[in-house]
Amino acid sequence: MQENYLAKWLNNELSEAELEEFKNSDTYATYQQIIDASNALESPSFNTEEALAAVKNVHLFNDTKVVQLNPFKKFLSVAAAVAILLTGTYFYVNSLDEQISTQYAEKKEIVLPDNSEVVLNADSRLIYSNKNWNANRNISLEGEAFFKVAKGKRFTVATEAGEVAVLGTQFNVEDRKGFFEVTCFEGLVSVSFNGKETKLPAGSSFVAIDGQIVTDEKQNSIIPSWINAESTFKSIPLKFVLNEFQRQHNIIVETKNIDTNLLYTGSFSNTDANLALQSISTPSRIKFTLEGNKVLFYAEN
Amino acid sequence: MKIKNEDNICNDKVFSEIFKANSKTIYNYIYYKFGNEEKSYDAVQEAFVKLWENCAKVSPAKAKSYVYTVANNLYLNVIKAEKVRLKYADKTLKTTHETPEFLMEESEFKAKLDHALNNLPDNQRITFLLNRIDGKKYKEIAALEGVSVKAIEKRMHLALKSLREKIDGI
Repeated sequence: MQENYLAKWLNNELSEAELEEFKNSDTYATYQQIIDASNALESPSFNTEEALAAVKNVHLFNDTKVVQLNPFKKFLSVAAAVAILLTGTYFYVNSLDEQISTQYAEKKEIVLPDNSEVVLNADSRLIYSNKNWNANRNISLEGEAFFKVAKGKRFTVATEAGEVAVLGTQFNVEDRKGFFEVTCFEGLVSVSFNGKETKLPAGSSFVAIDGQIVTDEKQNSIIPSWINAESTFKSIPLKFVLNEFQRQHNIIVETKNIDTNLLYTGSFSNTDANLALQSISTPSRIKFTLEGNKVLFYAEN
Repeated sequence: MKIKNEDNICNDKVFSEIFKANSKTIYNYIYYKFGNEEKSYDAVQEAFVKLWENCAKVSPAKAKSYVYTVANNLYLNVIKAEKVRLKYADKTLKTTHETPEFLMEESEFKAKLDHALNNLPDNQRITFLLNRIDGKKYKEIAALEGVSVKAIEKRMHLALKSLREKIDGI
């Protein structure tokens, strides 16, 4: 009898002789019975259609899951990019110098990092660095500003005309075209002008016109008059007075037949243009006509 | 780009055909192994979901062995085999001109066969039942199990032999 003859028998692979021999054996009857009985066997029921539908449901569910995940990844990358950008911008902006400027007829009050106060007059610009402010108090100024400096390290105001350095005091710096004035209201101010240093005690002013030091005058007030909306002048050429008027009132000034180098002493309002015009024209004995945004000063014949 | 092909498993029709052709056999295969209907159903689900997820990577020719491998590996060493409960088709009852003694003997024989089947080694039981119930040829079973046809013949032979020995009470 060949190897695995039972398997061969089921597959009808036995030869005639082998089959005869097998059928004559004692065990054949039981084998036949086993095969007959097992032919009636059934496995548990299985619904193919239902199972297929269930598998397809799982795909659908999985497919939507994939779709849901993708935008979130995109969102994450966008969020990361935005975060990096914001952080970068924050550090960049932080390292930039602080810059504050005013337009014609505008005034601004600024509190510096050490609580020093600055009032910026019309048409002026102020630049300082927030970084290391307490160790290095440097400000650069174009125009006019009043400083109330908190006590501490050296406080320097750099202008095109000269440098003003103090320790803690109140003072006014004005640097206009051809006109440089520093007035000290409290403490001691040191002014460097054309390489010359001048110590300015409280109540005095330093004035330079067209590069020439003009006066060293006593000052009676405790704050500059422009803080209270009034511009005050003492023996100042008329052209600077008219420029200041133009800045304070945002009115363009034109002149005809007048000597603008005449000295002017007096003050004008920074709020009432008509009153200011009269304050300028009457003492100087000149006339004016106001038309909209322009004023023309002309000589009285 | 996916290969736009009628042969691609990602194609719904192709996938359904593969499912219909193989799911019942996988179900039975796992059932003959562990005797747990629920686990068998889960194995079918798991195997075909995996096939769908990897439909672009598996060629239709490999799909059959792919799902068998997944189903087979799923419970590897994880669950304990339970008693395999098989039903006998009612067709024998229609010919009830048999004597009561004969019927009693027959049901006694079936109980013995049941018991003997459960005592077979897994691989012999699987081979025997796939052949007897599912009508699988030795060659097909050999492909499923990843062994030679001769090995399957050996399992079949041993299965029959030990069934007879159990039933005859040797």
